[in-house]
Amino acid sequence: MPGAAPVEIHELTKRYGSTLAVNRLTFAVDSGSITGFLGPNGAGKSTTLRALLGLVRPSSGEARVEGKPYAALRDPLRTVGAVLESESFHPARSGRNHLRVLAAAAGIAAARVDEVLEEVELSEAARRHVGGYSLGMRQRLSVAGALLGTPRLLVLDEPANGLDPEGIRWLREFLRSFAAAGGTVLISSHVLAEVAQLADEVVIIHHGRLIAQEPLAALTARAGGGTVVRSPDAARLAAELRQGGLEASEEGGGGLVVAGPAERVGEIAAASGIVLHELRPQGATLEEVFLELTAEGED
Amino acid sequence: MRLLRSELLKLVTTRLLLWLGLLVVALEVLVISLHVSQDSLSSLAEPGSQRDVISIAGVAALIALLVGVVASAGEYGHGTISHTFLVAPVRERVVLAKLLACGIAGAAVAVLAGVVAWALAALLLSARSVPLQLGSAGVVRPLFGTVAAAAVTGAIGVGFGCLVRRQTAAVVVVFVWLLVAEPLLAIAHVDRYAPGHAIASVVEAGAQGSSLLAFLPGLLLALAYAGAFALAGAVVVSRTDVS
Repeated sequence: MPGAAPVEIHELTKRYGSTLAVNRLTFAVDSGSITGFLGPNGAGKSTTLRALLGLVRPSSGEARVEGKPYAALRDPLRTVGAVLESESFHPARSGRNHLRVLAAAAGIAAARVDEVLEEVELSEAARRHVGGYSLGMRQRLSVAGALLGTPRLLVLDEPANGLDPEGIRWLREFLRSFAAAGGTVLISSHVLAEVAQLADEVVIIHHGRLIAQEPLAALTARAGGGTVVRSPDAARLAAELRQGGLEASEEGGGGLVVAGPAERVGEIAAASGIVLHELRPQGATLEEVFLELTAEGED
Repeated sequence: MRLLRSELLKLVTTRLLLWLGLLVVALEVLVISLHVSQDSLSSLAEPGSQRDVISIAGVAALIALLVGVVASAGEYGHGTISHTFLVAPVRERVVLAKLLACGIAGAAVAVLAGVVAWALAALLLSARSVPLQLGSAGVVRPLFGTVAAAAVTGAIGVGFGCLVRRQTAAVVVVFVWLLVAEPLLAIAHVDRYAPGHAIASVVEAGAQGSSLLAFLPGLLLALAYAGAFALAGAVVVSRTDVS
């Protein structure tokens, strides 16, 4: 449906007995973006994604794909590709047959199966039983399944879990090229660093509630807002920086702490011909900001 | 139609049917060769006796039940049910496709069982120079009855598997029911209406003047059981979260 956001979560609530897994969660994902869906383990990420994919019935609220509930999609596999957490396969079925089963159900030509196997570099192992696959191979098979219908949206739940660094790099490059071709990606993780190099935007949840939704750049700014600079000419540098609109406080020993990015501080110093002895971003790492945000959510 | 193809493909891309088919054939070889070699020649010449020789083919109805249970409950066990529902989010349609696929698979197992039993009996009886009665209606009818019964039990297995969604538990319940519960129903003289007896009456196809129902009432009752299990299974499956 043109105009509808690829993913819309509206006031989504899911209760398991007395446990509130997701609590009036609302967010949307823009077309053509990569959104990192973050939160500690047990924050409600998987429940949210499973509700989006029609596997879990919301207690209240809605989860929509291109404006429709998943079950109302005419051709789900051609709209959304999903990679669920700890995907399970029939151990005695070959990877290729697993995909043939899915393709048959979706009315996708069998030739496409070999294409996606090629795409995820799994052709050689395709006729072997999945029971003998490594974790990385299973993950590739999951991705192959998600790609079968050449969907516009990919939803991945903790895809990096258990992958070795090589596998993670493969996945990252793969998702980048998918997004570069105009696809939308929603990828969950409990480790910010995993999506930090990938995501345009982050949605952070904790205890089932939204903590933050903002561009990754904004999150970065929260983290590394300050710069430490040292110069033999600290007083003049401080004045120039203030003129440039940056707050600077003197720390003694020629040191300044500036409320601005290191790039800007360096540019101003160079323009004024001031010698620098040190220039480094100061502040929390992304991970620290993430932990701080989720800690706030504890209250 | 797509879903039916997918379900049939699922059944033939694991070794389940192969092993169960081999099991049926092995049982038949064992039982039929013992029967033919132990029984007296005069007894074997009777049509009733020759029908008994091939009656082991009826085990296909039980095997078909297991196929149905594995096709439904097994998907929950292996976790592949999430893939299935991602492709086909309207779950009732998945259940329907499974019912049809397992009905077909059950019938196929029964055809195999019937052909092998008949051929084996013909071979072994001729080897003992017993005049063959294997063409008579009373002998052949149970083989056709078994095909009908196995198609129904395949579907019953699917419905029951959807209800329980745990493969081992479902298989245990099936055996406890057939071996303990139904015989107990005999005390109240209502056992002929129980699912296992209804299936048996379809297998027998009226060949035996026993306490079982006649073929048609038996078939209708068995279909009613299949429908009830399928309906209950579809309702439960549609309302249960997959996580």
